Amino acid sequence: MNVVELVDVQKHYLLGDTRVDALRGISLTIDKGEFLAIAGPSGSGKSTILNMIGCIDNPSAGRVLIDGTDVEHLSDTELTRYRRTRIGFIFQSFNLIPVLNVYENIEFPLLLRRTLSRRERERIVMRFVEEVQLTDRLKNKPNELSGGQRQRVAIARALVTNPVIVLADEPTANLDSATGHKIVELMKVINETEKTTLVFSTHDAHIMEHARRVVSLRDGLVVADESRSAA
Amino acid sequence: MIVFRIALRSLLRRRSRMILIALLVVFGTLLLVFGTTVTRSAAVTSRNSIIRNFTGDFIVYAARSREIPSPFAFNTPLPVVPDVQQVNEFLSAQPEVEATVAFAQNYSLLSVPNATGSVDVPFIFYAADPESYFRMFENVRIVEGQPLTSGPGILISRYQNDHYQKRYGVRLSVGDQVTALGLSGGGGVNALRVTVRGVFEPVHYANVFNYINFMDAASYSQLFNFTGVSGGLPARLEKALAAASESEEGIFDLAGSSVGSIDTTKLRAEAVSGYTMIAVRLKDHATMEAVRARLAAQGWPVKTARWDQASSFFANVASAVQAFIYFATALIFLVVTFIFMNTLVINIIERTGEIGTMRALGAERSFVRNVFLSETLLLNVAACLVGMIASLALVLAGRRTGIPLPETVSQYLVGGGPLPVVLSIGPFITALLVVVAASILATLLPIRVATRITPLAAMNDR
Repeated sequence: MNVVELVDVQKHYLLGDTRVDALRGISLTIDKGEFLAIAGPSGSGKSTILNMIGCIDNPSAGRVLIDGTDVEHLSDTELTRYRRTRIGFIFQSFNLIPVLNVYENIEFPLLLRRTLSRRERERIVMRFVEEVQLTDRLKNKPNELSGGQRQRVAIARALVTNPVIVLADEPTANLDSATGHKIVELMKVINETEKTTLVFSTHDAHIMEHARRVVSLRDGLVVADESRSAA
Repeated sequence: MIVFRIALRSLLRRRSRMILIALLVVFGTLLLVFGTTVTRSAAVTSRNSIIRNFTGDFIVYAARSREIPSPFAFNTPLPVVPDVQQVNEFLSAQPEVEATVAFAQNYSLLSVPNATGSVDVPFIFYAADPESYFRMFENVRIVEGQPLTSGPGILISRYQNDHYQKRYGVRLSVGDQVTALGLSGGGGVNALRVTVRGVFEPVHYANVFNYINFMDAASYSQLFNFTGVSGGLPARLEKALAAASESEEGIFDLAGSSVGSIDTTKLRAEAVSGYTMIAVRLKDHATMEAVRARLAAQGWPVKTARWDQASSFFANVASAVQAFIYFATALIFLVVTFIFMNTLVINIIERTGEIGTMRALGAERSFVRNVFLSETLLLNVAACLVGMIASLALVLAGRRTGIPLPETVSQYLVGGGPLPVVLSIGPFITALLVVVAASILATLLPIRVATRITPLAAMNDR
């Protein structure tokens, strides 16, 4: 079953008078439960694809369907609601809310939903806190955590709403190699246990080895789409 | 709840910058509350002072008068109030009226004997029934001799007497008999021997009462030939005289037609006349308009003027001071609002990634708006409360001794002495409303900036 479908997606930017073709006609489908890496050098269009899938940028041409819905004509409010309920984000720079502690950062997307009781929120948050092994850091603020710990908080935050897809834009770029591998391993475990579709971008060949499918980009085009039976 | 949590902690995170803003708001609040309290106090004191010393709550004057008379203006002789006795009786019968007094303001010369014969010195005065006048107005203190209630004659201001000494080489003493010279309405000069009953000093408004003296009404009436000439004029004549006060041409309305016969039987012989105004003191100032309207409905050829209309210069001084303080406060709040707005914009730019992240995670624009609005209100309302407490302390301290003012300012504003402070809740509520309004105003642009930050900003925030 397709979770994401990109149909001949193009994205052009204007830098001054110069037109930059970030994506030059990409078609791609992502199935439920996939653990997929989008690989490619800097400027190849990795982040742009993630932005399209994450409903935070619009294509210049082509169609983007998430969970069967064409997101092109959704209003800002509808897109916001869509992101809140169906998409999880893991950022390269972690992007935790600096004034909230670990528990509160993870709880934040649930609070935006305003549908759960405090007890329900606590149950969900604690489940993911245990999964990312941050039980002893609940009261710590982001600036009191290491890079790896911060990214684990971001992973838990992306997962608490049980999204259709989790997008991670170069999640290991700001981490040392060993921590980066641990984070990707954790993402992989979560993909297996939670059956969450997980798409991450990377230009690190060692990191992309963890993925079961690697889509390689160059100059805004898909140059390879490889599936691996076991990583 | 999460909105307030983020707002409060964001404020604490940037505490050094926010403390500076808070201090500005505290200062602004202090100025607003204390400034408003002082101006309100000045306005109330000024009003009460003028009402108690000069005009009462309102004055009644002849409809023929070209201008609203003022107890301070002596440049134009005022027309006599018609039907003064009936008007006075009507007013005294009103339940809202505490007291009334008819009085006149005029000037004459006093012929004072000296070594070479005599010298004529100018004499500006109020003429009234002393009993009624000094019961209503407590504006002078007798320092030599007796009050005018002791007998007919004049009271002289000590300052004026000193001036006579310096300028004319004469000095009046209690018991002296001098000749007062007055121009009667017919153009003749009347002379009347009057006795100096006492010397006084002003209690309030020394800048006015140093120059004004007093004469009893009976002497005044004789001096200016006012005895027995009021009442009984045909309505058509009164009307034409009133029209003439508006325009010189009005008098020609009388031409070509009879004004009607003057019924001499209606002309009452009155012991005293010539009053140019009646001051009316009310039990409750709030009833002024009702009493004025009731008097107007009687149809007498008289008009009324509020205390502030009859003392426009002094009332204007109080208003000008009030306007200046309001202007200064508004300016400070404008500056604080502008500084705060800029600080908030800088904060928002610094927090682009944070806002973008919230938006990416599903926070709507209204959530972002509420975070920044809460930050602003939390900071400013807290600072406003601190400012209010400081203001309250200052106001309470001021209430004990009054606020000292420079003598000149004090004379014009409240009639002299320290300004009594009137404590009221109004300035505190005003300050809170102003701070809340300024806070909302200050966040309009920053919030516009914040809500336009897209989730893409979070992705790009490296």
